[in-house]
Amino acid sequence: MTIDFWGLGLQAINVLILVWLLSRVFWRPVAAAIVARRDAAQAILTDAKATRAKADAALAELTSARDGIAEEREALLAKAAKEARAASAATLAEARAKAESLLTRAAETRDREAAAARAKAEKEATELAVDIARKLLTRVTTAEIQETFLTLLLAEVDRLSTQDKATLAATPGGITLVSPTALDGAAQATVTQALRQKLATLPKLHFVTDPALIAGFEIRTPHFVLHNSWQADLDGILKALNHAA
Amino acid sequence: MNSPLESSALFYLGPVPITQAVLTTWVIMAVLVIGGYLLTRRLTLIPDTRQAALELIVETIDIQISETTGASPTPYRSFIGTLFVFILVANWSSLIPGVEPPTAQLETDAALASLVFFSVIWFGLRGAGVGGYLKSFAAPNPVMIPLNMLASITRVFSMFVRLFGNMMSGVFVIGIVASLAGLFVPIPLMALDMLTGLVQAYIFAVLAMVFISATVNDARSAKPPSEPEKDT
Repeated sequence: MTIDFWGLGLQAINVLILVWLLSRVFWRPVAAAIVARRDAAQAILTDAKATRAKADAALAELTSARDGIAEEREALLAKAAKEARAASAATLAEARAKAESLLTRAAETRDREAAAARAKAEKEATELAVDIARKLLTRVTTAEIQETFLTLLLAEVDRLSTQDKATLAATPGGITLVSPTALDGAAQATVTQALRQKLATLPKLHFVTDPALIAGFEIRTPHFVLHNSWQADLDGILKALNHAA
Repeated sequence: MNSPLESSALFYLGPVPITQAVLTTWVIMAVLVIGGYLLTRRLTLIPDTRQAALELIVETIDIQISETTGASPTPYRSFIGTLFVFILVANWSSLIPGVEPPTAQLETDAALASLVFFSVIWFGLRGAGVGGYLKSFAAPNPVMIPLNMLASITRVFSMFVRLFGNMMSGVFVIGIVASLAGLFVPIPLMALDMLTGLVQAYIFAVLAMVFISATVNDARSAKPPSEPEKDT
């Protein structure tokens, strides 16, 4: 067995050359492709992480903003509720005050109207009572009552002052004697005689009939009226009752 | 059939005899270089089937180197990868009728073993410097210096003999069976020879990597690392 050292050296050189050539045309390009893709993948992963970090940050910011909005909303709702309660209380107080005022005024109006109604009713009742009395008295008028009224008339004349009597006696045109019914001659003479006794000078008497008197006699001049009848009494009563109401 | 222990020159280039093994080696070199160039012309970021297969080969070799050395595969990829691919293609070249694999010749295997021997020295010097490399022979203690020096030669010699013996025997057996039993009978033996060729290429490459990494690690343990490794 012999070793061909030329062959050994040549094969060694061949393999070294092959190592060098394959390193250039095969191993390095393929390894570079692997590294390039790994770097690209790493870059994509880095970008994805950065994007994810940005997205997380945006999400956190959005969540914070949303929480802020919720808090602001709660605050606004609380403020609005508080303002609404205050406005409601103010409105309620105002309404209550208005209602109390209205109630007061209504009560006053009611009292006033009631008083007016009561006064009106009292007036009407008084007038009705006076009318009833007037009608009743109309039915019960008699000669005795007339004589009584004549006596009362004479007493009234007698209570007049001297000056008034003189003035009455000097009335130009005479005086008017009003009676509810027409007086016959005897009655007129009786009345005339009675008045002459009370007055020193008796002017001319004019006898006038006025059924409204119901009963009684009245002396009327242009400047003087001596009331003495149921009508005058009833009118006085009516006036007094109205004044009392 | 010529004896594998003898190599006859086909022709001479000056004083250099060109044997069948050298010629076959040149053809294999041409095929590998041209094929590698053609296959790696258009590498893209998104790989097709071809590029994926190439990357699978490179990554597999890288993984083997990383698992064996525990270091980055970049400085060793070209040498170890080329050793594996060349030995594999050379072993499988026996499947072509009339072609005798270069690895079945003594000189080729001796040349490969010599390259491993010198690459151990080269990577050791690169990894830890002259001092660190020389101190690696004193691991674990100076008493081992003679044995380590002897081992650095014998382990390479064993690689050479193992590869030569396996490939030469395969060629021998197939040749004998073919001469005795006809054309198709050696096919199972050829399939077995393919497996043997793959295993021997793998063993040779792994052993080379183990020897290199052991020397580099021993040298680095003797001297702290000072500079990063570079690609060859």
